[in-house]
Amino acid sequence: MDTMMAILTIFTHPELLLLVGVGTFAGIYIGAIPGLSVTMAVSILISFTFSWDVYPAISIMVGIYMGGVFGGSRTAILLNIPGAPSSIATAMDGYPMAQRGEAGEAIGVTTVISFFGGLIGILVLALAAPFVADFALTFQPRDYMLLAVLGILLVGSLSTGSLVKGIFAGAFGLAIGAVGRDPLTFTERFTFDLQIMEGGISFVAVMIGMFGVSEALLQLQNIDKKSVRQKVDKIIPSFSIVKKYLPLSLQTSTIGVVIGALPGTGGDIAALMAYDHAKRVTKNPEVPFGEGAMEGLVAPESANNAAVGGAFIPMMTLGIPGDAVTAILLGALFVHGLNPGPMLMIDQPDMFWFIVGALFTANIFMLVFGLTGIKVFTKIVEMPRSIIIPLILLLSIVGAYAVNNSITDIYWMLIFGVFGYFMRHYGYPLGPVILGVILSRLLDDNWRRAIISEREDLGRFFEGILTSPLSFVLFVAVIMIFVSQTPLWTAVKKRLFKQVGHDQNV
Amino acid sequence: MDPEFRGDSDHHDGTSDAIPGGYPKQRRPGELVFALFLTAASLGLLYNAYGIAGFESLSSAGSVPMAVTLAMSISAIVIVIRTARRPMVKTETLSKDILPGTALFFIALLVVFSVLLKPLGFVPTAALFLIVSIKLLARKSWIYTLSISLGSLFVIWVTFRVVFTVLLPTGILPEAEFLQFFRNLTVGGPS
Repeated sequence: MDTMMAILTIFTHPELLLLVGVGTFAGIYIGAIPGLSVTMAVSILISFTFSWDVYPAISIMVGIYMGGVFGGSRTAILLNIPGAPSSIATAMDGYPMAQRGEAGEAIGVTTVISFFGGLIGILVLALAAPFVADFALTFQPRDYMLLAVLGILLVGSLSTGSLVKGIFAGAFGLAIGAVGRDPLTFTERFTFDLQIMEGGISFVAVMIGMFGVSEALLQLQNIDKKSVRQKVDKIIPSFSIVKKYLPLSLQTSTIGVVIGALPGTGGDIAALMAYDHAKRVTKNPEVPFGEGAMEGLVAPESANNAAVGGAFIPMMTLGIPGDAVTAILLGALFVHGLNPGPMLMIDQPDMFWFIVGALFTANIFMLVFGLTGIKVFTKIVEMPRSIIIPLILLLSIVGAYAVNNSITDIYWMLIFGVFGYFMRHYGYPLGPVILGVILSRLLDDNWRRAIISEREDLGRFFEGILTSPLSFVLFVAVIMIFVSQTPLWTAVKKRLFKQVGHDQNV
Repeated sequence: MDPEFRGDSDHHDGTSDAIPGGYPKQRRPGELVFALFLTAASLGLLYNAYGIAGFESLSSAGSVPMAVTLAMSISAIVIVIRTARRPMVKTETLSKDILPGTALFFIALLVVFSVLLKPLGFVPTAALFLIVSIKLLARKSWIYTLSISLGSLFVIWVTFRVVFTVLLPTGILPEAEFLQFFRNLTVGGPS
């Protein structure tokens, strides 16, 4: 009964309902406007909603997340520019459809299917999270440590090509998180005897710098790009079409939830895997994949929205985020004095059920806004970058300043902005940096707890890992990522192949 | 999809977040210097982390920082070696593609912004920033520039000051008196 009440909190408070609506609406546009990203929006919003109560703050951010994941698909279809990483797969068949003049139908089906996927994700979240939280209570500190390492490695290895750069980025994030006085022993770490470093570096400043400033600086190079206008007609899809693709959508939504629930993997990977799955199971598509197959649109879109619900599972139950956006949302919960993890589910179950309710509401808003207002949409998306970029920079400055009312944070933001700018240019992923910053404390605390409980004996520590099934699985997963992708392995592989090739030549 | 996909021709257009730029098989101008810088910085941090507690114990405050900076150093060195082996991108130059004048100018503008923010106050600094940057980027008439920048500044100021109740440096503008004046107008006297 209490659970039901908590889920319905959102409906009994009109202002919360409104905020979710505003958030979803804004999210769709932010996700769609090239150059604005959900990660950027949520990072800036954290600082603005800093003084708010936790419920309204969460409402608007949940709305933006849900809307943003969906909004990215629109520009993928209309302009062949994925508005968000999770809609890369959508562009592959969505854009060819738009070129054939079927943009309206593509958008309509995408919206309904996204809603469906989102719904499945939320259902699984509501059903599975309490069990996961119960299970998580049995986790040892070493399991948390391994989970954190696994999460950072997964983000580093799966989201982009180069694992080494991902490892560097993750480790760099962990180092940033360690700056300041150590909470346990009060020893100074990486402070270089500067007083301003003692309190650590504000993670909001790091985030806004990396995702706001660096993106805006990069967009300066695309200032004169004009977007191509596509004709969009009727977008509400017929029931028969939706019904036809529902079974596929159900399968790919399941993929989405599972991938989303793995720590370190989010909507982008879920969408790509779902696309791959659709390609394998669809024997005779009406239109070949890559040339505008509806299946190629349905699969990634249901998966990435289902992944939203999935991504909340490790975040809420373990305190380990699934991707950059959930990492930032996790940061937002920290800012508001909440401590996501199994204890949150026990101490404040209302909070969890409220988030479920907010996600559900955002999903409905997404359906409504998604099927209407396409005319306004095309107008807003065409807003010139010469105006958007200065505004993003201004908002970033205000955001970085607002959290602590400190100019120092603005300087941090600028430093990380410029640094992130180079990282983007040279192919370093930014996601692991944020994950590292957020997880630094958790990793550090749990490592120390684990090793102290084993009386500082590494042998006993590894014995513990080998004898506990869960720790063992996690440990093997970490090792696997390393072994399969480390430079050593590739070097060995290359040398072996070269050797063979050489021998053959001789 | 090609796992080495790096966005479309202009590297990043809209595909932000986790999708970095760069080329999988080639080296961009300055990429090696950046990697060398990262290596030097990582080694410096490793030394610094060693200074926290040395090899005192496995659970000391310095153990995770040392492990982390060691990981940074090793991966940075690997990156340097890999990058050095790759051929340069022929079509790009540092000043044209990596750090063009506009980017440098904007970085400088942001520094000026943060320096002026406290003494001058948010509204005048932001107005200056928006006017300069929009004029420079849009290259349109002064009327266009002024109306867009001041209009959006007004919206932003109202949103943050009133809706989000963010306290911004007031500086030279009598902002509090101004707000009170409007409150008096709308509520009909101080309550």
